[in-house]
Amino acid sequence: MTENIIECREVTKIFGGLTAVNKVDVFVPKSSIFSIIGPNGAGKTTLFNCISGFYTPEHGEVYFEGEPLRGKTTDAIASMGISRTYQNIRLFSNLTTIENVLVGQHHRLRETWVDAILNTRRYQTEEKASIQEGVRWLNFVGLQGLGNTPARSMPYGAQRRLEIARALGSNPKLLLLDEPTAGMNPQETLEMTALIRRLRDEFGITIILIEHDMHVVMGISDHIAVLDFGLKIADGTPKEIQANPRVIEAYLGPGGAALAKKYSRNK
Amino acid sequence: MKKTYLRQSFDTGIIFGIVHIFCVLIAFNAMLGSLLAKIVNVTSSLTSPAVGALIAYAVILGLWAGIASALRQRELSDGKRLLASLVTGSSSGLLAAVLVGIFQLMLILNINPRDYLTNLSLPFMQACLYSLPGLLGILANFFTFLISAFVGGLLVVGWNLHGFASIRHQINNAPKNWIAKLRSGSAKKQLIQKYVFYALLFVLIAILPLEWGSYWNYVIGTVGLYVIMGLGLNIIVGLSGQLVLGYIAFFAIGAYTMALLNAPIPHNLMWGFWPALVLAILLAALAGFLLGLPLMRLRGDYLAIVTLGFGEIIRILLNSDLLTSFSGGPRGVQGIHGPTIFGQVFSDVNYMYLIILAVALAMYVYNRLQHSRTGRAWLAIREDETVARATGVNTNKYKLLALVIGAGFAGLAGAISAAMNQFIGPGDQSLMASINVLCEIIVGGMGNIPGTLLGAFALKGLPELLREVENFRMLAFGALLVAMMILRPEGLIPSQRPTLELPEETPPATSSTLTDAAKIKPPEENPHD
Amino acid sequence: MHHSPTKSIARKAVIAIMTADIPHDLKKKGNQLLKLIRPLLGGIVGLFLIYRLYVILIVEHPYGPDTWTRLLIAGLILGGVYSLIAIGYTLVYGILFMINFAHGDVMMLGAFGGYFVFEALNALKVGIDAKSNFLNVYPYYSIIIAFIVGMTVAALTGYFLEKIAYRPLRKAPRLVPLISAIGASIFLENAVELLFSPQLRNYTNPDILHRGSGWTIVINHSNVIVPYTGVFSFLLSAILLVIVYTIVRKTRLGRAMRAVALDKKTAALMGVDVDSTISQTFILSGALAGAAGVMFGIHNGLIYYYTGFIPGIKAFTAAVLGGIGNLPGAMLGGMFLGIVESVGPAALGIDFQLKDVLAFVILILVLIFKPSGLLGESLAEEKL
Repeated sequence: MTENIIECREVTKIFGGLTAVNKVDVFVPKSSIFSIIGPNGAGKTTLFNCISGFYTPEHGEVYFEGEPLRGKTTDAIASMGISRTYQNIRLFSNLTTIENVLVGQHHRLRETWVDAILNTRRYQTEEKASIQEGVRWLNFVGLQGLGNTPARSMPYGAQRRLEIARALGSNPKLLLLDEPTAGMNPQETLEMTALIRRLRDEFGITIILIEHDMHVVMGISDHIAVLDFGLKIADGTPKEIQANPRVIEAYLGPGGAALAKKYSRNK
Repeated sequence: MKKTYLRQSFDTGIIFGIVHIFCVLIAFNAMLGSLLAKIVNVTSSLTSPAVGALIAYAVILGLWAGIASALRQRELSDGKRLLASLVTGSSSGLLAAVLVGIFQLMLILNINPRDYLTNLSLPFMQACLYSLPGLLGILANFFTFLISAFVGGLLVVGWNLHGFASIRHQINNAPKNWIAKLRSGSAKKQLIQKYVFYALLFVLIAILPLEWGSYWNYVIGTVGLYVIMGLGLNIIVGLSGQLVLGYIAFFAIGAYTMALLNAPIPHNLMWGFWPALVLAILLAALAGFLLGLPLMRLRGDYLAIVTLGFGEIIRILLNSDLLTSFSGGPRGVQGIHGPTIFGQVFSDVNYMYLIILAVALAMYVYNRLQHSRTGRAWLAIREDETVARATGVNTNKYKLLALVIGAGFAGLAGAISAAMNQFIGPGDQSLMASINVLCEIIVGGMGNIPGTLLGAFALKGLPELLREVENFRMLAFGALLVAMMILRPEGLIPSQRPTLELPEETPPATSSTLTDAAKIKPPEENPHD
Repeated sequence: MHHSPTKSIARKAVIAIMTADIPHDLKKKGNQLLKLIRPLLGGIVGLFLIYRLYVILIVEHPYGPDTWTRLLIAGLILGGVYSLIAIGYTLVYGILFMINFAHGDVMMLGAFGGYFVFEALNALKVGIDAKSNFLNVYPYYSIIIAFIVGMTVAALTGYFLEKIAYRPLRKAPRLVPLISAIGASIFLENAVELLFSPQLRNYTNPDILHRGSGWTIVINHSNVIVPYTGVFSFLLSAILLVIVYTIVRKTRLGRAMRAVALDKKTAALMGVDVDSTISQTFILSGALAGAAGVMFGIHNGLIYYYTGFIPGIKAFTAAVLGGIGNLPGAMLGGMFLGIVESVGPAALGIDFQLKDVLAFVILILVLIFKPSGLLGESLAEEKL
């Protein structure tokens, strides 16, 4: 029996007069690939931010492996095993690629500033080990040989993969990916999809995605939750979601269900 | 199309004209003139400048105006570009003429504006008129600009635009290219380069202080102290990205610690140089800690103002009567005893070596920190604090750490300064001193050692060499800060991350000895490779 | 070798502190301790204040009601000046999220503008006898001209400041325009020093506004002067504050300013000329600072190139105190700070030399305990 790695119970986030996320329940099983979809402005990134600790919900609770996340700082949450990427890539642009990954490993290292100044054994071993592991992650995401390139001079697709490598540096149990295939061509999208699958298959990392590309979502997800105007309107397997008329209407508008049926190839 | 370029040239000339008027009113033209005069070994003072010097200044300004104007009109034909520079010359010349016309009027009517515009003494105004009577002086000013601008245009057109653009491009990129060349190549080659460089430096350092006399020991010694402070501030500002404006307060704490523990008045404790030095560093670091603790959550701009306030509080307190019995009040502390070697008080040569040692120590510590997990954490905080925190960096702790270590550097510099000068007073601990250090690292290059060295030499060494510039130093700083932020915010020598030694093939999984927060197996060798 | 147990514990403690490598359970206790620091600090400060106030007001009575009235009057006048400058900070911060570090120097330039007007009009003879200069024959016009010139100079400075030093840096990370502002401030101060010399200049007031004269009221058998210059400043501040409030709340420009402050991109999409609105904000805030500068000159008399620096920081404190971005907050903050600065040193029994320290300490305390100010910030949260 897989327990849920994330449980959101009635999570509600309000900004001024706007309820961005409204009593949303989400249960994410361990080592699954879970997608959150919905039209623009549905509250997906807000929910993400609640799960990763950037926002504190006004009502409701988020539990990670049974522990509530309320009141924890984002760095504490990172140490617990949650890492994320961002919708508009937020790398440490003036650091090199490998250094970005090394920062990802930060909370797992114990080397202190005194170690650094005195060049102690701990400093030397940790630097070496962290670089080795960092290179492994870089190679894993497909950035072989680019370790010393400044992050800002990497092409777009590589930057997205670097963000993932940085997140992996923390050795997370849960990885939150915010629109990982945005702006990618079909080839890159396929590679990214394969990468995401490998992360779950080989390392057991649970992945929660926000995605707009329906091919990706339907092809890779074990579970999907659909948000619209801050409410969760559907929850289930890709097949169930595809057939759900409420979901179709959320995307296509009223009367959309009929339209979809008319043009549907799934008879 | 025709109208716009003429209009543009006219406006360019107006801008140059306004700058010219400003320069005249602050006697910048006289200063520049006296610098030029020095080159040709002619005397020219600020109050009675030599006419030739002023003409030289005007010619330079006019040339620049003409060149700028012609360069701007890249697309147009040569003739039109010459016309552009001519128009610029005439509009700036017009303003110049109006200015000296007013001067002439005042001379005739015997009005002395000196009470209001301090630089406009009668001899000064006459010199601006090139000592020519009546309308001649006014016309001379106009034509100087017109002709110089035209010549500038000729230079651009004759020498071909590309010449200038590529020269400017080269100058812009020279430090970058040069440094890139130095930094390129394997990590090993860089290491060898570094060793050679330091060996050379060591030889120089061993010999020079004995040879060049106490004046230079004092100047370079002060530069050295500024390097230490620059490195300390660079840890706070350059590495961790926190703008702190009251940095001099930590210097003051270090200096006063040394002073109060080693001077006959007011306390006559005589603890000795070295214990006081250690205590000075610790107290400064402690002050950084206490100040920073409540402030770590503040936004960058708030932090700047609060640290400014802190610096001012320290200055006011040191200057007040309230603390005079404790810290010497406005007159400061005198007669500070320095260290002794073999029973003899330190000479200026000894101090020089001490400072060199301290600078070396500071550079070493800075370098180690820069290339460590701590340094990377700081840089991550600077780049994007929110994301750094979400990636697992305890931002509050590291920001505080940067402040504490940076403060310690300042304490070190302060203590040595107090002992070296045998005096410390509240007047030195002003906001301007903090801004001096800030300028140094911003202009030189934020976050790297060569940049700090360059900044310290430029900002402390140059004014020593160019005494005439002294009055205009702060003005230049202000303009320089604005200009640097707009043109080159990373400083003259931009920081570049080091080339780390990276394993060529995918290393085996077993070599990882990192503690794992999550009990997930580390990435194994890819079975498909 | 024998190590005493205390020595090794001490050694461990020192290393632990230095490397911040503190074991987990100690860390938890440490964190709990840190959480207590703020209320603890607040408690200490509060107790100190209460103690000092008790000692001075109840036990010692060094000053009679006449002195308190004098101090209060001075505080109100000062408060008016601070309010005007504080509004400038708040307006600019609200719209650009940056501290206009050079704002105090804009005030200084306004003061100089007014100074030169008075000097010129003083020298201008309009009659035959020696005493009749424009300044005293037409005092009202003189004052109006002085204010117009001062406010215009300051407004223009604000406009060019934005155009040259801030606009190119709109997209840069936050610290870059701040450093540019610092550079601009230094430039302005030193430019004025070089142009007009570092000497202190004495404002020549028209005789009707003679410094030191005023209505006399008798309190506690002692003459308390309510100065003409002070009343004038205070009334003018109040009028200008009302005008500004009306502009921001009721006019098109005010709406545009508020829109740009809330969301620049959307305001632009809605057709608001963002650049022009920002320029006008700077012009407005500059004009206010200029008025404050002229008032300062009239009332305080002495100005020089560094005059703007400390009032600038204090006005910023006032703006933060009231809640930066919050217009009524800036006004209230200014008043509060003026009064506290005037009455505070006497009430707390500390040296008058240290009154500037008082303002800085208030700043630090506000930012530690309630960074959003007394009336709260009215700014959008950081978008993620």
